[in-house]
Amino acid sequence: MNSTSKPPSQDHRLVQTGDTRVSAKISRETISTLSVTILCLVLLFSARLINPALGSWSQVETVLILGFFLVVLSFGQGLVILTGGLDLSLPATITLGGILATSWIGAGNPAEWYLLPAVLAVCGLVGLASAIGVIWLRVPPFIMTMAMSIIVASALLGYTKGTPRGTAPDMAVALMKGDILGLPAPIVVLIIFVIVGWLFQSRSVYGRYLYAIGTNVEAARNAAVPVTAMRILPYVLSAICAGFVGIALVGYSNGATLRMGDDYLLPSIASVVIGGSSILGGRGTFLGSVGGALLLTILGTIIATLGLEFGFRTIIEGSIILIALLLLREELFQKLRSLKT
Amino acid sequence: MRKTIFKSTAAVLALSAVAAGLPGLASAQDGKKFKVFLSLSYSGNAWQSEAANIVKALAQTAPYNEMVELREVISGTDPQAQISAYESMIDEGADAIISFPISSTALNRTIKRGCDEGVLFFMYDATVTESCAYNVSYLSSGFGENSAQALVNALEGKGKIFLSRGVPGNSVDQRHTDGAMHIFNQYPGIEVVAEYYSYWDDRTTQQETAKALTANPDVDGIWAQAGEYGAIQALLDAGDRLVPMTGENSAGFRLALADPEMQAKGLTGVSAGSPPAQSGYAFKLAMEILTGQRELEPMNIEYPLPWVPADAVKVCEGDVYENGCNVFPPEKVPASFVSEVLNPVLLPEVNVESALNGTPVPGATIQPLPAEVIEAANLPGINCGSCEAPEDIYKLTKVEATVQP
Repeated sequence: MNSTSKPPSQDHRLVQTGDTRVSAKISRETISTLSVTILCLVLLFSARLINPALGSWSQVETVLILGFFLVVLSFGQGLVILTGGLDLSLPATITLGGILATSWIGAGNPAEWYLLPAVLAVCGLVGLASAIGVIWLRVPPFIMTMAMSIIVASALLGYTKGTPRGTAPDMAVALMKGDILGLPAPIVVLIIFVIVGWLFQSRSVYGRYLYAIGTNVEAARNAAVPVTAMRILPYVLSAICAGFVGIALVGYSNGATLRMGDDYLLPSIASVVIGGSSILGGRGTFLGSVGGALLLTILGTIIATLGLEFGFRTIIEGSIILIALLLLREELFQKLRSLKT
Repeated sequence: MRKTIFKSTAAVLALSAVAAGLPGLASAQDGKKFKVFLSLSYSGNAWQSEAANIVKALAQTAPYNEMVELREVISGTDPQAQISAYESMIDEGADAIISFPISSTALNRTIKRGCDEGVLFFMYDATVTESCAYNVSYLSSGFGENSAQALVNALEGKGKIFLSRGVPGNSVDQRHTDGAMHIFNQYPGIEVVAEYYSYWDDRTTQQETAKALTANPDVDGIWAQAGEYGAIQALLDAGDRLVPMTGENSAGFRLALADPEMQAKGLTGVSAGSPPAQSGYAFKLAMEILTGQRELEPMNIEYPLPWVPADAVKVCEGDVYENGCNVFPPEKVPASFVSEVLNPVLLPEVNVESALNGTPVPGATIQPLPAEVIEAANLPGINCGSCEAPEDIYKLTKVEATVQP
């Protein structure tokens, strides 16, 4: 623990301190959220220089729809990381949600009202199993969630015999292809999701518990935080988010495949870290992760339009992610602050 | 005494051969079943599962069900895992290994060792450069150049196009793309405005095409490898406009090509590309060699290029391709189902349920393959090691240029 980090009880968001300096009023998390947002906007507008068709509303729409999946995942992943864990079971759980949605429900099924929540509940059970392994069996989260991922993926391979059948439930299609108030439905749902997620993580008592656990489990226990329940919750929520993404992906491309979740594991972790969260837990906001997810998606759409060899494209993508991380590092803000004061 | 034993053995041999309806059964000599292994790369996409299911269904079809013990091994995407899988199959005394090879070169040493011990190696779709293996593949049949020419024809030699490619660094993707670029480069009016890797996957194709569309909403055509159905979805997401496109054999793509509503939006094109039926063809060839019905030295065997233009798409009513139909309706198969898994000439024994579940058709019996096999052209680094590609490697076989550069 370095000298700059404060014990949680002195964190100004828990207890208003007497410090009235301008720099202290803005938390470092707000700063990293703001910076990542600004970086997103800069990228979006500078894209016009590369291609005049970019930077338009239609590109923003594409980014928001493609980013939908990553934002939802980064909420769950962010909560798990906040409490000092890591969820590697996302790809398999996404696939689980998608395959159950197509094989149990399918198009034109009037029972989707209760079957879709049932699908989410099954995914939640996967998260519960991970949590049990991590908390009671004391398996490191990395290993436990990886094992769950392999088990679930293999069970799905056996269940589908390699060819997932069925079609997308109507509600999943409406979620991804419909319109609400003239806006594409996924964008409206995304905005609602972000608000609810932010309220949960940064404004509710449960969110505060999670920060406390991530900072110091023993201290949290002494402060009467329901530690066990609050350590289970992130894994369950993360799995439910993954199941929801599975359903959304099925709606987006009208069908499930056994590899549908594979592309999302590392980006989900990267979004959280780029958004200013500590990979060791205890720090970070959901809004930061949203910024991180959108930054990665914007980067993807811009890089895709560069007429470069694939190798160079991925080098550029990797470099920009690295630069973003370095720029958003906390030390930099500390320095900026000390310059001001 | 010795003679009598020989005679009675011969009698048993003859009897069992008659019983099985096949002359000269090697297996009947010792009463044991042939050990045939199915070595897959990855099981988890429709193509790989269908290819494996067809072999499983054939192995359970009479008379093979009495003659073959088939075992399946999945090695993921790591050549090292497949090498060790091959090693243990050889050590277990395999008679034949039917395999989708993960690498065209990394497996060579192990394959050579197996050949020396008398194992037959039959590769399907992907190939190896080791000359003691049989490669059964459509790769030499010119998917890239033929589909590219069809697209150029549909665009009348002019327009902005996307290339939706396969897996970066993969020799199959490279061969397809080289063939396609050979055609596109002849037409100065054709401009490749975006080129992306879609990993032969519908969903990735959809997302990558959506990204490319943000910068180039006015695209005129799409040349796609497998995953093409995702490109249609991306176009529909972006607006109500479709463009001429070529792609592989997904049911979703074929049904869209035949759909008047989609045609009205501008969709036209050709469905061609990689047939999972290659695995079944490879398996039957291997069985015919094992049972002594066919004599064939190791060679590169060409599987003919499937070629279904929009106006030739016909939806099937039953479970097999009959009366010229070539795609199953959405009630039967998912959109990602690879249609070229059945072949009325080479694999009349199996049906759509076999492709989906690996189950044999009740009452079906194995039919002999046509006697003639087509020798594939040399593709250096793909199906042969030190060899020269023919000069006319990119010659058009399925379509003629209707527009001149």
